[in-house]
Amino acid sequence: MKVFGYTVLVLFLVPLQVVFVDRISLFGIRPDLGLVAVCLIGLYTGELDALSAGFVIGFVQDLFSGGVLWGNLFLKPILGLIAGLASRNLVNLTWVFAFSLIFSLSILSGTVMYVLKAFTGTGASLFLAARDIILPQACYDALLGLALLKLLQRWRAFRTPETELSYE
Amino acid sequence: MISLQTIAGGKRAVLLLLVFLAVALLLLPESRQESLQVIGRPMAAVIAVPLRAMESANQTIDAFVNRYLALQHVREENRALRQHIARLQEENASLRETAVAATRLLDLLELQDQLPYPTVAAQVIGRDPTNWYRSLVINKGRKDGLSADLGVVTPAGAVGRIVKAYDRFSIVLLLNDLNNAITGLVQRTRDEGIVEGTEKGLARIKYLPLLSTVKVGDQVVTSGLAGGFPRGLPIGTITKIERREAELFLSAEIALDADFTKIEEVMVITAPRENAQISANPFARQPAVPVKPAGEAP
Repeated sequence: MKVFGYTVLVLFLVPLQVVFVDRISLFGIRPDLGLVAVCLIGLYTGELDALSAGFVIGFVQDLFSGGVLWGNLFLKPILGLIAGLASRNLVNLTWVFAFSLIFSLSILSGTVMYVLKAFTGTGASLFLAARDIILPQACYDALLGLALLKLLQRWRAFRTPETELSYE
Repeated sequence: MISLQTIAGGKRAVLLLLVFLAVALLLLPESRQESLQVIGRPMAAVIAVPLRAMESANQTIDAFVNRYLALQHVREENRALRQHIARLQEENASLRETAVAATRLLDLLELQDQLPYPTVAAQVIGRDPTNWYRSLVINKGRKDGLSADLGVVTPAGAVGRIVKAYDRFSIVLLLNDLNNAITGLVQRTRDEGIVEGTEKGLARIKYLPLLSTVKVGDQVVTSGLAGGFPRGLPIGTITKIERREAELFLSAEIALDADFTKIEEVMVITAPRENAQISANPFARQPAVPVKPAGEAP
């Protein structure tokens, strides 16, 4: 069931982002749905699932990207691992924690992508990249992640009897 | 508090192996990275199915949104005429959309007829999933004869080149991406240089001779020396000349002829070397960005 769920996620996540990208962009900035998904998987199911899902999602993202280096294939599993490890000793998954984690991981991802891009092309300004892409995208990713987290929490609460709730 | 030591032994080994694999894949030499694309082809073929389904859903949403927008101002009309007007508006919007599409496709068809080399027409079905690259996803791939490095044009001029080709779709890196570089030629002075993207989403021609008489308003075309473009395809118009002290070359900013935010159909040149010269210019010379009148170089 879990494998089926991940397969569906991978099959639809990146095409969704590629085709509907203009509809979900705000001021020209698009959220990284792969990053948000990997972080949420890490927070909910642990580092191994997030690492594996990160590999596949990153790989598919790179298949559709114009970049020559396989940056997402490298980054997404690492981000999933960090999210998974960060949630290991967590008792309460608060919105502040989730927001901060996704925001920080998005900043990390953006910075690594900037370095990779500077490595393959002509050097763009870090200041411009941070102002125009890294920070706005981190805010967008974190807000979207938070919204999805709330939806997931409601869905889980709806599906699980109150006495069995052990996570939220 | 959080460390790998807390993870059970077998699981830890798998984690370390996967992390090692991720780092090793990043450090793979560029020449070997082609193999990753080969591995990815079956997966790309599978993903092409939901991709097409979503594209079709996207078009349906587009049609719905257009219909909705067309109906917005009708609300203020007289109630008795509302239905009649709505029907007319809908029909009008639909006809207008058809007319625009027909004009676009006619331009593309005319271009295909006039270009003296084989081309394949393709539809844009998506854009780069990240904010880091400016690229398009087109609905034609290796099965249609496309491969990496082929040039992509629209009736406005050159727009980019294919960087990844899969069986049923390809990725086109646009000319305004920082990582893209093609050889260009200032049409009036015949000075050659390298055209590459800028951070602002424009393009720049570099390595022009210091003594070049290039001016604002000069047209830049492809030089045909390398890459997937033949000589003479319009790229853009020079808007600013950068002459810095202690530099051996000039560079100039270019306003690209094609509007990259509104590309819906493209032509891929499949054999740019068959006839290297265009006899008559079939491209519409209408820059997407208004250009200042020609003046002397600063």
